[in-house]
Amino acid sequence: MSEQPETYIAPEPKFGYPSGPKLGAQIQARHRRGQVWYVLLGASLIVSILALIALLYTIVNDAFGLVAVEYKNDPGRLVLDQQEKIMLSDPDTVSSEDDNELAAGIANDPYAVGFFGYAYYQNNSDNLTLLAVDGITPDTANVEDGSYPLARPLFLYSDADILQKNQAANVLINYYLTHVNEEISGVGYFPLSAGRISQSQQTWKQANELDLPAGQWASINPEGVGGRLTIAGSSTVYPLTERMLQRLQADGFAGAVTDESVGSSAGYRQFCVDGSSDIAAASRPMNQNEFAACRKIGRQPVEFAVGTDALAIVVSAQNDFLTGVTADELRQIFTTAQKWSDVNPNWPDETIKRYIPGADSGTLDFFVETVFPVALEDLPQEALTAILADNVSLGLGRRIESEQRFAADQLVFFTEAQWAEACDGAEPYAGCTLPPRDKENVLLLLEENVTVPNIVAVWKLVPSLLNRTAIEQEALEKYPAANLQFSSWVNLDFIRSPQSSTPELAGVRTAVLGSLWVVAITALVSFPLGVGAAIYLEEYATDNRLNRLIQTNISNLAGVPSIIYGMLGLAVFVRALEVITSGAAFGAVDVGTTANGRTILSAGFTLALLILPIIIIAGQEALRAVPNSMRQGGMALGATKWQTIWSHVLPNALPGILTGTILSISRALGETAPLVVVGASTFITTDPNGPFSKFTTLPAQIYQWTSRPQPEFQNLAAAAIVVLLVLLLSLNATAILLRNRYARRPS
Amino acid sequence: MEGKDNSMATQSSAPPLITETVSADALTKRPRIGESIIQAFLFVCGIISIFTTIGIVVVLAEEAIKFFALPQVTLLEYFTGTKWQPAIGHFGVLPLVLATVLISGIAMVVALPIGLLTAIYLSEYATPRARNILKPILEILAGIPTVVYGYFALQFMTPVLRTIFGVETVQIFNVASAGIVVGILIIPLVTSLSEDALSAVPRSLREGAYALGATRWETARQIVLPAGLSGVTAAFVVAISRAVGETMIVAIAAGSGPRNFTLGQDSLFGFILNPFVAGETMTGHMVRISGGDLSYNSVEYLSIFSIGLLLFAMTLVLNLIARRIVTKYREVYE
Repeated sequence: MSEQPETYIAPEPKFGYPSGPKLGAQIQARHRRGQVWYVLLGASLIVSILALIALLYTIVNDAFGLVAVEYKNDPGRLVLDQQEKIMLSDPDTVSSEDDNELAAGIANDPYAVGFFGYAYYQNNSDNLTLLAVDGITPDTANVEDGSYPLARPLFLYSDADILQKNQAANVLINYYLTHVNEEISGVGYFPLSAGRISQSQQTWKQANELDLPAGQWASINPEGVGGRLTIAGSSTVYPLTERMLQRLQADGFAGAVTDESVGSSAGYRQFCVDGSSDIAAASRPMNQNEFAACRKIGRQPVEFAVGTDALAIVVSAQNDFLTGVTADELRQIFTTAQKWSDVNPNWPDETIKRYIPGADSGTLDFFVETVFPVALEDLPQEALTAILADNVSLGLGRRIESEQRFAADQLVFFTEAQWAEACDGAEPYAGCTLPPRDKENVLLLLEENVTVPNIVAVWKLVPSLLNRTAIEQEALEKYPAANLQFSSWVNLDFIRSPQSSTPELAGVRTAVLGSLWVVAITALVSFPLGVGAAIYLEEYATDNRLNRLIQTNISNLAGVPSIIYGMLGLAVFVRALEVITSGAAFGAVDVGTTANGRTILSAGFTLALLILPIIIIAGQEALRAVPNSMRQGGMALGATKWQTIWSHVLPNALPGILTGTILSISRALGETAPLVVVGASTFITTDPNGPFSKFTTLPAQIYQWTSRPQPEFQNLAAAAIVVLLVLLLSLNATAILLRNRYARRPS
Repeated sequence: MEGKDNSMATQSSAPPLITETVSADALTKRPRIGESIIQAFLFVCGIISIFTTIGIVVVLAEEAIKFFALPQVTLLEYFTGTKWQPAIGHFGVLPLVLATVLISGIAMVVALPIGLLTAIYLSEYATPRARNILKPILEILAGIPTVVYGYFALQFMTPVLRTIFGVETVQIFNVASAGIVVGILIIPLVTSLSEDALSAVPRSLREGAYALGATRWETARQIVLPAGLSGVTAAFVVAISRAVGETMIVAIAAGSGPRNFTLGQDSLFGFILNPFVAGETMTGHMVRISGGDLSYNSVEYLSIFSIGLLLFAMTLVLNLIARRIVTKYREVYE
């Protein structure tokens, strides 16, 4: 045999493993492949993140947005009417539609104050002193740019048909728009900017279907034009119209014109309700009720802005203590204060005498709106009750009051005698014994019976923010009688109102309370049972067949679909145990309702069974994590098994158990299918008042609303989802905080 | 312990000397009634879960038997019939099962690749910072109630599908958007279960592979994934079972009527398997019927229990398969 060992020759690799430069190329190829897959991995991550973002976007997009609301009675108008009523009924106030009368009255009394259009001040400037408001006295500059707070545009309204058929009316408006800026300062008002005038001119051109380019204006020669024409409306616009009519007649106009100064509201009534005028003059824009009335009589109002007025706050020239007021003092002078010294102690101790325009005046509306703007919700309860009384029929009012009084000391729709007779009679009203309504209740009554909001169109959030002007256009064309307002569908009213079949009034109160009740019962039942089972399985159970079966069984139960639990609950708790769950066994069924098992108790038990396996598994893990040394230490000191568990093991495992329980409860809060099967009511408006009540829960309510076709219900569903997610978020955040806090504790 | 009468000594105060004999019952511990009661209570708690399962089976079986005992229902028609219209006597469950299978299929196509890839990323690639961002997002996705997903399917996914595929092809209620959203719902489940399986693979395997020059992807695909395959497969099966049992998403977005078909008459890909057409699943049907007015012992009432029994059987079998895969095929390394 040879002395030298054979050199070892490695066998040829089966895969043809490259060497040399090919090796470098192969390694590069493998790395490139790895990078491609890395990109794919990144893409898969992004899908999850994108899905979550898309989900939140959809919900937020639907939960907020622009809404077009039509009111049967505009709430702004109701507030104005109420405030004006209070102002006009004050004994120290004189009101008149004739501004000259007001000016004369103020001039004679050193302790008087009042307001009207600037022209009337100018005509009487010898006897009157103009007050500065917040230091600003009106002049052309600050009226045009808006820094004088009481500046307002003046309008003429007509209808395209009228303009085309009534030559006199057409010529009047045309003449106005051609020459108004020449005359308006002479009358005592302030001219509109050239841009604004050409907007009005554009409207006139459109009404006459004249296809002229934007800069071009066609003025009509009034010579020889005849016909009859009625203008009615604002006393503020009246002197301006009179001046224009003078000029027209000087230029050969032959029409017969009736010009009535009755106040903007009366003017709108004549134009939109009676149809007796051809042009309405106004110092405030037309509101949607008037708009709707016009359309009802077949008129489509077109608006022409013709000038600007500055509301002049005036006192007598004999007044020696006032040159200007602040907005706040102005408020007090016209509402709460009785004497001048109430407002400012430096002023004389004399009663304030107020001279204001009458109820039909647009000037009064403008003053009230601008100086003390108030929303319906901010009025005191007495004012709200007064509005209700003014706007419902006696029969309806009596029905409402018989259910519950408005005030403990005063009756609104009944006389004292009638009320006493009804309450002492055989069938006393419910309102005889119930406490009086609170403000929320009255507001709700107003909503249901007086303002009656009706949502006619909704838009989502992103278009509402980005396409606002396009939406405003669309709203103006399709729903001219509607208010466009930005609404958060999730608001305090939404959370406080019960369910309703009209989406405008619907809220989630019933559903939230139902959810809380059900989850409370679920927690009460499942927590002890679950923790008990976990303790049994971890601490007491020996490794025999029964206990292994229990363990397997629990794992299987955790994977059973939730609707199966619903069916179990339906058959067992709702049907078989109906006597218990409906409350009949405890005599707790409400009088007049049929007893059935579709109650909160059944729902709570069903959900308890559902989350029991999860609590048991979480509890077991928590108990397993407690180091054995704890148990052994306890035993060594002579404690019994239960004593060790109670005093050593459980406190240690409690944070984990609690975390698991809270997570299960948040799961129970979001469950829908089993509750729908067990019998969550599809429409219920009364709050649950015990475990034997009918109920609905928040997820069931969301499901119900999502199934309706109308778009408003989708918005309501989105808002309810926001509420649900906030609830869940807080629950889960508590669980995570608990987990983090106790994780730091050394065990 | 001072004062505790728990010692081995009986009546005499001094412990017995080593030469003395002690009777047997002196050495047994004193029975404590309290302990026994507590132990009994805990045992009852443990047993309740068994009662739940028994309850489910009994309840479903009892009503299902009543259902099959009805003269107008035959087992053959039930399992092979292609129309479900109890009002006119058609009791074929295939349309409902078909819709369930379709939706679960679409959900799996969405969830399995994404879930698995995310799990691989989390276990092999993720830095702690990426983990801290990703895990909470997955937890949030998992915690959102299914009714919210249903809303999402109806208000977002359906319009998107209609924009992509055209308003004519895609109906307002369709199986595809429900299926995709069920898939999104399940992604966290697949991810967490798969990631548990992949993380359980010991580091030494990975380190060995790196030592041999494998790239990270090669290690993940050829070493870690096969090692954790049993857990991953079990995760898939559990996810399928969850998709089958999903109710609210399909109830809201997939339509409110079974997709009744006639083999031979309706086109296979144009209608029967068309994902863009509505189709009610077993769970959706159960929820719709029981949400309305239901008189006990009517045909509808009994029929939903039969479907429930079928559903329970399907999910039980799937869960058992998953557990069997884990116990039988799991590779134990240590």
